[in-house]
Amino acid sequence: MHPACLSVSTFSSKAEGEGRMAYLETRGLGRDFPGVVALENFDIDIEIGRTHVLIGENGAGKSTLLKLVTGTDKPSRGTIRIDGKDIMRDRDLFRYIAYVPQELSLFPNLSVAENLLIPFHRSGLKGLVRRGRMHSLAQDYLDRFAIEGRPSDLVMDISIPDQQLLQIARASTNQDMRILILDEPTSSLTPVEVARVFKAIRDFHARGIGVVFVSHKMNEVFEIGDDYTVLRNGKKVDAGKLSDTDERALVRHMSGQKLTLGNEFRPHAEAQAAEPLLSVRNLSGDRFNDVSFDLYPGEILGFAGLVGSGRSEVMQSIFGYRRARSGTVQTQHGSWPLGDTSKSVQRGMLYLSEERKHHGIFPHLSLRENIGLSIFALTTSPLGISVSKERRAIDEIIDRYEIRTPSREKIIAHLSGGNQQKAIIGRAMATEPRILIFDEPTKGIDVRTKAQIYQIMKGLAERGIGIILVSSELDELCKCATRIVTMHAGYITGTFQTKDTDTETLISAIFDMETDHV
Amino acid sequence: MSDAQSERGREARSDGILAVMARTPVLGVFAVLVAIFVASALLSPVFLTSFNLSVVARGLAFVGLVTIGQASLMLLGELDLSLGTIGGLSGIVMGLLMVNVGLPAWLAIALALLLGATLGFINGFLVSVLRLHSLVLTIGTAGIYGGTILVLTRGVAITGIPRDIHFLGRGTFWGMPMPFVIMLIMLALAIFLTTKTPFGRYMYAIGSNRDAARMLGIKVDRVRILVFMMAGTLAALAGVLMVARLGTAQASVGNAWVLGPIAAAVIGGVATTGGVGTIIGAIFGATIIAIIENIIVLFGISPYWQGIVSGAIVVLAISFDSISRKWFRRGN
Repeated sequence: MHPACLSVSTFSSKAEGEGRMAYLETRGLGRDFPGVVALENFDIDIEIGRTHVLIGENGAGKSTLLKLVTGTDKPSRGTIRIDGKDIMRDRDLFRYIAYVPQELSLFPNLSVAENLLIPFHRSGLKGLVRRGRMHSLAQDYLDRFAIEGRPSDLVMDISIPDQQLLQIARASTNQDMRILILDEPTSSLTPVEVARVFKAIRDFHARGIGVVFVSHKMNEVFEIGDDYTVLRNGKKVDAGKLSDTDERALVRHMSGQKLTLGNEFRPHAEAQAAEPLLSVRNLSGDRFNDVSFDLYPGEILGFAGLVGSGRSEVMQSIFGYRRARSGTVQTQHGSWPLGDTSKSVQRGMLYLSEERKHHGIFPHLSLRENIGLSIFALTTSPLGISVSKERRAIDEIIDRYEIRTPSREKIIAHLSGGNQQKAIIGRAMATEPRILIFDEPTKGIDVRTKAQIYQIMKGLAERGIGIILVSSELDELCKCATRIVTMHAGYITGTFQTKDTDTETLISAIFDMETDHV
Repeated sequence: MSDAQSERGREARSDGILAVMARTPVLGVFAVLVAIFVASALLSPVFLTSFNLSVVARGLAFVGLVTIGQASLMLLGELDLSLGTIGGLSGIVMGLLMVNVGLPAWLAIALALLLGATLGFINGFLVSVLRLHSLVLTIGTAGIYGGTILVLTRGVAITGIPRDIHFLGRGTFWGMPMPFVIMLIMLALAIFLTTKTPFGRYMYAIGSNRDAARMLGIKVDRVRILVFMMAGTLAALAGVLMVARLGTAQASVGNAWVLGPIAAAVIGGVATTGGVGTIIGAIFGATIIAIIENIIVLFGISPYWQGIVSGAIVVLAISFDSISRKWFRRGN
């Protein structure tokens, strides 16, 4: 029916016609979960010395595929061959595959060297632990990946981007590795750090290692990728060489419907009130200094900057999650109380954290209980919470925000990231906030859900809510924000009307070019 | 929209019994409880006699009160190892106030409960403000509260507790032992609190993810301190009822209320890490332990062996729970 369905046959025949030797291949691979087919009749060929990009919406089957080819889950049917040999005969073959998960999974209290080399037997270290030998071995890896930090530093003391690179370095200590799988390695990185990851990937190619790269960022896909496979609903819908396709086609295959790129999600800011909702003056705290800005009702105020530039810290301090050292925040009605999240929420401010897992969801509770936490005003009487009222209110939120779930009683940790995010936004909206702070709201979210989130933000702003959007994607900020504030190393370096600026200006403000070059 | 709603409803209803059991582990605990009850009735002719059942119910009442408090703390991800000595100290203080100071019974009881709340407050306050781990902190406060008992009594029981409060420990109401009735009332209140009030939902939220709870504007420290106070008050109530039952205030009151309630809660499906479980499940767990301990006595197992047997059965019960949950998940 869809044009995308037709392309399955055309593209797969093309891929088979190439006749190159695949190192990792699957044929007819399938995995069923109760009531769901997570992966169906899936063929893929991963070659060494190249980068194969996997793209697809959240829940399209990427994670299932990765679990099967790394041996953490077993297929319901089909074959996986590594170097031409069937892994069902010899599970030891999985040692040729290295996998770097999306989330950081390091030991924060151990040293950089220990993190790199544990388990010791795999890195060729025998007997008692010898620090000198360990550190010199680790230093080689740190140099190769340009990681700042000494082998003896604790992992918790090095920067997040360095931790991300350390994870990749750790995978490469596996001497047998021929295929390296990187699951969204750049989702919390800025362009400079992404370049470091890409350099590492090219080094791997040179050493005859194949890379599987999962990403939602189209520009990265085209920069680093050679081959690609698009997944949708557990099936391969498109595959081939990236040089033969373009962004528009990929997005169409991923979503199964036509989507126009470069949509404008900027609210109409004509009726900007003279009075700001929030006036931040000379706010200083841990990792930021002397921050001043105004937020007006009906605008989306973007905050651009590198990871670690202090954007999140500023927002968390205004919200009361962190302490501010000095400075004030004023509203029309007087000064804003700092240092108490419950007072901020009572006064209509909500902060939606970048760290969904740590700051957003209650993993053990159901979707209903997660959302229900913010709508007690609607559901509680002197006789307690009315579950029927709660169900009705929550079904409405599930429908309005298009949260895809089999049931409202589903444990939220079992939903996909995009649906968790929609649940968090739906919950926030239910409190009818006046000020909303979105911190990287589309991190790890597929293209279609992203567009939905932009649309929601726009609608809210046009209802007079003041929105702050912290984002590392300039593209996202330009699409959505009416004004953009840039931060560098804890200081504000500029404020721009989005319609009067360009990305070059923004980037030079983000990197604080003027100051650096004087 | 109504279509989508009815579809969701159908999906929920069409789930098999296994799926429902997997989602609500408390049913599994209840099934185990029923099985043990029936087995005990079949194995021992004495078990179902009203005298024996009232012995079980009375014993369960004291542990049950502490279990309600401990399970509430466990939902938050906290543990209080001082609940036993809080109960003991509160009972002793009530006895002293009545016997040595000559206060009227109702006032002495009220002050004892207030003391329990205060000691709970101290635990909660120190955990919240000093950011201490509750398990470690309450090892310390348990020593302090328990030491205070010895200082006050020098190990000698306080006798001469006025007869007019004995009915609290020894009396019956509709044929049920009074402490058991009081425990049931507290249980009903705790179930209402945890399932039907925003406060209870906040408890689950904090236990599931404390940082997210703060991000949502939940007053984490206040909820935590209040639950510590609630647990302290329930422990004090258990101590007061125990003294009323014994007729003397002994330094040993509360010694058995430390690990039993934690085991009961775990058997009942409450996770020590927070956010998972129910109060009713914890009470089912306490009942399972009470019946097992009773049947050991009825079988005339040597008292020297009782600890080993009841301990082994607790281990079995806990592993049964984790094995069955794994099985349900696979079957699902």
